[in-house]
Amino acid sequence: MSAREGAGNASAADQPRQELDAPPPRVARFAHGSRVPGWDLAVELEKDPAEIPDPSTTEVPAPLRDEIEAHMALYPDRRSAALPALRAAQRVHGWCSPQALEQVACVMRVTPAYLDSIASFYDMLETSPVARHSVYVCTNISCSLRGADALYETIARRAAEAQADVNVRAFECLGACDIAPMASVDGVYVGPLEHADVPQLLEDLRAGRPVLPAKQLARKLVADPQANTREFPEHPAQDGA
Amino acid sequence: MADASSPRLLFADIDEPGLCNREVYERRGGYESLRRALAMTADEVLKELEASRLRGRGGAGFAIGKKVSFLPKGAAETYLVCNADESEPGTFKDRELMQKTPHMLIEGIVIASYAAGASRAFIYIRGEYELQADMLDAALEQARAAGYIGEDILGSGHSLSLVVHRGAGAYICGEETGLLDSLEGKRGNPRLKPPFPANQGLYRGPTLINNVETLATVPAIIRMGGEQYAQLGVETSTGTKLVSVSGHVARPGNYEIELGIPAREIIFDLAGGPPEGRSVKCWFPGGSSAPVLTADDLDVPYDFDSLGKAGSMLGSGAIIVVDDATPILDVAMKVAKFYRHESCGKCTPCREGTSWTVKMLERIDAGEATPMDLDIMASVQEHIIGNCLCVLGDAMAMPIGSMIAKFREEFEAHIGAAQARTGLGGLAASDQALAAQGAHEQQHTPQGPLAVVADDAQAPGQHGGEPGTHKGGA
Amino acid sequence: MPRPQATMISFTIDGREVRAPENAMLVDAAKLGDVEIPVFCYEPKLGGPVGACRMCLVEIEGIPKLQTGCSTPVKDGMVVYTESDRVKTAQQSVVEFLLINHPLDCPVCDKGGECPLQDITFGWGAGVSRFIEPKRHFVKPLELSPLVAIDRERCILCYRCVRFSQDVAEDYQLVLLERGAHSYVSSFDGHPFVAPFSGNIIELCPVGALTSRPYRFRARPWDVEDAASLCTLCPAQCNVTLTVRDERALRVLARENTEVDDGWLCDKGRFAYQSFSADQRVLAPLVRDGGRLRAVSWERALSEAASGLARAGARAGAIAAGQSTSEEGLLLSRLMREALGSPHLDSRRAGTLPLSIHRALGAPALAARTSDLEFAHAVLVLDAEPINDAPILDLRLRKGVRRHAMKLAVASPHASALDSDAALSVRYAQGAGAPFAAALAAALGGDEERAQSLARDADADPVAVRELAALLRDTGERHPTDARAGGDQAGEVVVVWAERLTAPPNGELGARALLQIAQQLGMSGTQGSGLLEIPAATNSRGLREAGFLPNAGAGLCELPDEARAAARDARAIAEGLAAGELAALYLLHADPLRDLPDRELWERALARAGTVVAHASFLTEGIREHADVVFPAEAYPEKEGTIVHPDGRLQRLRAAVGHPGELRAEWRVLAALALALGLELDVPSGSAASAALFAAVPFYAGLTLEEIGGRGVRWQERAAASAFPAAEGLEQPADARDLAPLSPEAAALAGFRSVWDAPEVEFSPSLEFLFAGDAPREATPGSQPLAAATAAPDGGARA
Repeated sequence: MSAREGAGNASAADQPRQELDAPPPRVARFAHGSRVPGWDLAVELEKDPAEIPDPSTTEVPAPLRDEIEAHMALYPDRRSAALPALRAAQRVHGWCSPQALEQVACVMRVTPAYLDSIASFYDMLETSPVARHSVYVCTNISCSLRGADALYETIARRAAEAQADVNVRAFECLGACDIAPMASVDGVYVGPLEHADVPQLLEDLRAGRPVLPAKQLARKLVADPQANTREFPEHPAQDGA
Repeated sequence: MADASSPRLLFADIDEPGLCNREVYERRGGYESLRRALAMTADEVLKELEASRLRGRGGAGFAIGKKVSFLPKGAAETYLVCNADESEPGTFKDRELMQKTPHMLIEGIVIASYAAGASRAFIYIRGEYELQADMLDAALEQARAAGYIGEDILGSGHSLSLVVHRGAGAYICGEETGLLDSLEGKRGNPRLKPPFPANQGLYRGPTLINNVETLATVPAIIRMGGEQYAQLGVETSTGTKLVSVSGHVARPGNYEIELGIPAREIIFDLAGGPPEGRSVKCWFPGGSSAPVLTADDLDVPYDFDSLGKAGSMLGSGAIIVVDDATPILDVAMKVAKFYRHESCGKCTPCREGTSWTVKMLERIDAGEATPMDLDIMASVQEHIIGNCLCVLGDAMAMPIGSMIAKFREEFEAHIGAAQARTGLGGLAASDQALAAQGAHEQQHTPQGPLAVVADDAQAPGQHGGEPGTHKGGA
Repeated sequence: MPRPQATMISFTIDGREVRAPENAMLVDAAKLGDVEIPVFCYEPKLGGPVGACRMCLVEIEGIPKLQTGCSTPVKDGMVVYTESDRVKTAQQSVVEFLLINHPLDCPVCDKGGECPLQDITFGWGAGVSRFIEPKRHFVKPLELSPLVAIDRERCILCYRCVRFSQDVAEDYQLVLLERGAHSYVSSFDGHPFVAPFSGNIIELCPVGALTSRPYRFRARPWDVEDAASLCTLCPAQCNVTLTVRDERALRVLARENTEVDDGWLCDKGRFAYQSFSADQRVLAPLVRDGGRLRAVSWERALSEAASGLARAGARAGAIAAGQSTSEEGLLLSRLMREALGSPHLDSRRAGTLPLSIHRALGAPALAARTSDLEFAHAVLVLDAEPINDAPILDLRLRKGVRRHAMKLAVASPHASALDSDAALSVRYAQGAGAPFAAALAAALGGDEERAQSLARDADADPVAVRELAALLRDTGERHPTDARAGGDQAGEVVVVWAERLTAPPNGELGARALLQIAQQLGMSGTQGSGLLEIPAATNSRGLREAGFLPNAGAGLCELPDEARAAARDARAIAEGLAAGELAALYLLHADPLRDLPDRELWERALARAGTVVAHASFLTEGIREHADVVFPAEAYPEKEGTIVHPDGRLQRLRAAVGHPGELRAEWRVLAALALALGLELDVPSGSAASAALFAAVPFYAGLTLEEIGGRGVRWQERAAASAFPAAEGLEQPADARDLAPLSPEAAALAGFRSVWDAPEVEFSPSLEFLFAGDAPREATPGSQPLAAATAAPDGGARA
């Protein structure tokens, strides 16, 4: 559906279906081509081999070092701390930059390549520079059946128009199909989202306010009508990131 | 026979304010099961679990009692890992449990660790579930302070350390061996089995891996007694089950049902069915990995064996309903692209097969295919099924194969309509494809810098033609 | 960990009954029944199976799903089908999947003709593809390192190369990035993959994705011949296969010998072949004429050498080192002793040891095999840095730790590349190996006081010495107390030590300490235990056994008293030359300025020497400035003869290419020279020289070149080993009072040259990068060019 904007993705009749006489969609040729970052990159022969960084020449911010070391202490094998350590470094550096990887590698006593292979494996670890805020829009099946693809387009377009410091990504199932279509805004789940919510969402992000408090998943009661034997109030909203 | 008014073991008053705190949980009888279990021997606890015939709620449906009994006794350090990497599309039941009643999960983990003889436990929670991980961390702190976690729990001699480990976005880490590799700080590639985790799992030690819902059910089993628990549900599928219903239904959400009730009751009575004027075209009974069923199958009892007999599976207990207005091609494309994106790349049929399937679907969508391509696509799915290292390849091939089998006419109609739209016949289509390829290659010889080629079909935030889920989307 | 014992079982494959070792993987067991199951990712050298490529799917009765043959251990009564329709369909589909994104550019691919992907596609593929979508294309080839080119289009993601980097070399520089169909092999952030063993990934690659930059497009497989040989560029003596075209070695590949190299090669061994055809190589006899070395006829060179040596007579000295064969050593020793009447010959860099100690250290009962490094309960690396002394042993030790739970201890003056795998690493002062070893011996013997005092002398942590003793003593399951060895027996322990441990000023102390350690650990006669020396030069062991020592003849026999009394060792030869007491020097593959300690002394010695005759491949400084006659030395592909591995394995060199230029076989040169000096050595052929060697050394008795064959023979495992002379007069105990103070000079003398710092590396264009920048030529351990290229284990990893 990604190649066919809005095609057949809404359950209700509010979304027009694509007409059969519309221009044909294009097949994304070379879709696996060299747009994969790195495929076409050679090494720079004048560089030194990337070994475990030398602590005497690698500066690591003290709080980051402390956090990584605390994570390492939780596991029988220090390498288990790779994911938490990389997430911590990403918070500090904004993304898993080569410098960030070198710092983590230095503390964990592994090679930066080891961490790079991990960072590039996981979706939430960014291997190129990104905006400060993140909006992950679920575009997997359940959300897209309820209009997520069009929602993603809207958020991406509005964010671009507003030049917002926001990394809008279409994301795989975020595990919140009960509030489809939904998004995770700096880790806070909101939904079901309508196109009209988008300006407010971006404005809340910009202003540093809790995002769309009324639509936060944190507040929702369970759907099962017989779960609760009494009436309970909604849960409190999250503060946001 | 079970019905929709069966007991709520996991969801009972789940929205009670403060349930995420130890005091409220204890006031409702929380941690009583733990005290009771610790007063029994580990073998007795295991007996109760075996008697409950509780089958794993993560997807494979393997009985927890058996799993525990497979662990070698003594010898190496045994680990317990709770699989909270709930990533199967359409599944969100564990999320609700962890967020609202984290102590129930912790209590279940401590009891299971006692039965398994494990002294270290980890909860591997998907990185996206930040709220839920925070709730667990807070609850863990309370449990530790109350002596439910740590050294010599409640004076029983049993000790347990428990760490909440956050993932970072990879569906494959829900596969148990992929999870173990990820937890060890590696890429989440599945491992060859055998050895099975029970023998050689985390850090090569014996490891019990169970899903959140499975472990959260353990306190109820101890409270009720295994035999009593087994009275719920049907013969081979005992107990209650959380079902996540999503897609084209009026009330998407989680429902606790007794296994064995007809699927129709869940989809229509509980979740409200498709919107006015629409009907069910197909439904995934157990997440997007399950072969699709049609409206004809709505009266199949919702349990492990009945769904298996119907040609699908209960999987993670996630029902995704697709109404009759949705083109099947769109559903297939969504599913295929998801698995292509999430394939770890380790084994050949999955890595190449998912990628090839997407390319074929794209050609069908563009009107560049012939009905023969459906045969090829079906055959590719057959070549994937059963030949991969883990089940991810099958997880795409089974639903796609089922869609081709059950909706072949619609695929063919789509091909015909797309060709009519473009004025291309089958041969002409492939001629055009070849011409397009030739033109492309003329511009870009193998030595040419292809990195600069931009495809105008690529939407912002999309990468490599995927549904925008690749890194670096902006 | 004891070596696994295999039980033979029977199973049925494609209707044939086959006997195989139980639990062998099906793909290996099938070979025993002449059934080939195709594989891409399976490579047992890399560790356990990963089951990634799915090429080896087979049908097993009683199991519904197809199983991977690479990971299924064979059991008694198993019934396997590899040719059923189901299996064929699966195999064809995997080939089809793999070729989806493979460019099929075989006509221009370096791997073409020797490519497993081609062979398997031909043998097990359907021959057609139903994939009509466009293939992906990338820029190719790209540099991965100065040695390796990568073609990512061709890669089938079998993981072999990254598994090598991560699980064998453990440098973790080569990884897989991204995931799924996007995955690709890469290093970190554009850094080149430079590591001591990087070239192995070329040979591991089952497609043309990783190719050798020096070999690319030099030949096609049908143009070349293979020749089995040995790499003589370091003491590890790895077995190799040379790719030969038009009388030139164009490539070096590993020739797996589990008792020597385990199937790997270091980059020096793999790429330094280029030096054999380097412009700088000496290809004709040279004579100094008017202060310069000029090419002359063989007759002139031989007569100049003969007259110079004849003039000196008994006042000549000889040094053998480097890559000399045992035969050359024997011939030169006879020339010296019999034709010139000179007893002054030496092949040890580390000075003289009493003959009794030589015999004790070389005794068969104390000899460890190379493979014992893998299966011992514990290994102590003592005063050695394998990556610089005999690189391939580094991989073997890592394998022991990783696969067989071997406990590794490292005792060295510098941070070691092996520290990351070591259960215990102990440091001491540079040059203090001997007192350290003595401290360990004392600790093992329970003499705590002496252990502490010696540890302080060595500037080592006394606690660490005690821990080390405990680790070695208490490791593994205890053997029943063996009266023969006395004391209480520990598990299997191997001590790997380098020749420098027995270097002045405390060489004898170090050697005696080794013998005490061996005794305390009950090594004598214990299978799997023992000592393994890494000598300073490739064939040091062979040269000593051939009698190229000042205090021993062939077979380490006693010399006549008068000869023994007068004989000078290398240092004394230098002093003699410098003082004018000696007049001539014969250098067999040695350049004292490079290979021997005390450069200043040797400069004086060479300057004053009347005649210097040298066999050399390259005009290194000492040769260039001081040699009067230079005979061109053969490179190993041209050479015939035998060399002895540090563990006692005699290995045979066979000529793979003809002699370039004016070169002559060196045994012929030595025989001609001896004849000119009036001695008939009676070696009409290379094999006659070998026969003379086998006859001269009692414990080689009865050996033939045929028996040595392609895999070599350990003489300790033959009956003639009983002729090894017993060590006598060892009783004199080493005493702490004998300890010479550790001066800075002594420490400097203890520095040995890394095998990476060699003319063969310097003159191989593709390895030139190892010398880039200001890498020190006169290197000490820990600062060699490549020592830094191994994964540093921890914060203190860099010296």
